[in-house]
Amino acid sequence: MSTKLEKALYNISALADLGQAITSENDFHEKIQSLLYVITGTFLANKGAILFYDKSTNRLNTSTQKGFAQADLDRLNPEELMSLGRNEPCLIGNDPVLAVAGAEVLAPMWVRHDFIGALLLSGKLTVGPYTPGDLELLSVIANQIAIALNNHTLFMDLSDKLEDNRRLYEEMRRIYHGTLQAFAAAIDAKDAYTKNHSHRVAKYSVAIARELGWNEHEIEGMYVAGYLHDVGKLAISNALLNKVTPFTPEEREEIRKHSTLSHNITSKIKFPWKNVEDMVWHHHERLDGRGYPDALAQESLSDGVRILTLADSFDAMTSQRPYRKKMDVQSAIAELRKNLDSQFDNKVMLVFCKVLAKEIKGELPEPDILPHLDRDSDLSVITDLLEGIIAELSTP
Amino acid sequence: MTSRLEGDAAIIYPKGYLNNLSGESLVIECGIYIGKGITKIIVNFSETDLINSIGISMLLQIMEDLKNIKGTICCTNMSKFLRDTFEMLGLIQHMLVFPVESDALKYLKARKS
Repeated sequence: MSTKLEKALYNISALADLGQAITSENDFHEKIQSLLYVITGTFLANKGAILFYDKSTNRLNTSTQKGFAQADLDRLNPEELMSLGRNEPCLIGNDPVLAVAGAEVLAPMWVRHDFIGALLLSGKLTVGPYTPGDLELLSVIANQIAIALNNHTLFMDLSDKLEDNRRLYEEMRRIYHGTLQAFAAAIDAKDAYTKNHSHRVAKYSVAIARELGWNEHEIEGMYVAGYLHDVGKLAISNALLNKVTPFTPEEREEIRKHSTLSHNITSKIKFPWKNVEDMVWHHHERLDGRGYPDALAQESLSDGVRILTLADSFDAMTSQRPYRKKMDVQSAIAELRKNLDSQFDNKVMLVFCKVLAKEIKGELPEPDILPHLDRDSDLSVITDLLEGIIAELSTP
Repeated sequence: MTSRLEGDAAIIYPKGYLNNLSGESLVIECGIYIGKGITKIIVNFSETDLINSIGISMLLQIMEDLKNIKGTICCTNMSKFLRDTFEMLGLIQHMLVFPVESDALKYLKARKS
């Protein structure tokens, strides 16, 4: 095989090495270092550098280099290099502007109209000059490296933007949740007896939804519905909400309007979650169709509605009301059990019992229900009760 | 990659394809011997089939390191492919090449005496 052909094959394989280095899964610094090795190995140059142009500082930074004095590289003026040909290597010769001790050839790197940086190589170990063929090959290599560097910059810019957006989203989420909590506080402040009710209902609902295997997005929707389910009470008079004596039929009708009012208010908001409006609207419906406002039954009630109904009722039962004393926890659970099929859903009840039992046993790192229950509760009695219901509801 | 010391010369046996990984190991191995004051290194290529541009660059690095300490590099047991590649690049004129390891050892010993 002739030397010329051998050299051509070696150059082709060097380009293949270059492609492999560019597409490798190595981190960026390792990748750039491999690229420099390919170049120095191809041209037998014992010194080489890849310089990267930083637009923000108008400086050339050394991505990687071998053999040059850093101070010499730092002296290079990017604007001088920009005036040279695009991806066209030039012999430095005696040019005082381009002089870097030991450097013999320099290739400014461009992608379309953007200056990316420069490649710098020393003379060859074999002492011979860079041939037009060498410069042509170096031009191809400079082009490829320019694209790789540019892609990296674009990727880093995108990553930065993504991170900014993520931070912004988290900030908006925090503000959103703060607003929700302020809303809930306004609702609960209307009725001295239901202080923190919305917060607890949200927590209980989330605990059940999570145990049911809902994803984080759905759980967040459940949380929002829990917080806002009584927002319609803002439109009900304080006197009626805080009335101590039993309600008249008219007063009961008035109070019952709150779920429709909650729906009217929440339907004005474009929630990113499905069914928040439906959940707040129907949280007083019953499986037997005797609930309000629409007397919906069975299949018409979504899982979210069923969860919210149970969480709301459980908290109502275990909270003091102007017209009755609060129930102890075991009585409230027994009451839920008594009203399965007619009012509450078996599956939701089973999951509620399971999650509460887990919280009592300390199996959940951040309990949602237990911290809000009466501290005087006898946890062993509650556990026995829960396990009985779990066994009963788990039987096919 | 394996290596051994024979008198005041280190003999290194790179394996397989001399590319990024194996090339770096070769540089590191030589660096360890140079750090210990060894200035004569024999690279026995009997277990090396191929070399790419990165491997060449690594070899240049070793030659440069040895040049800086006035050391000697001998290459032995090269396949035809390796020898042809070094010749075509003009690299062969900058290293001492011997058919087999024992010839390189003999040369280094003779030079010492």
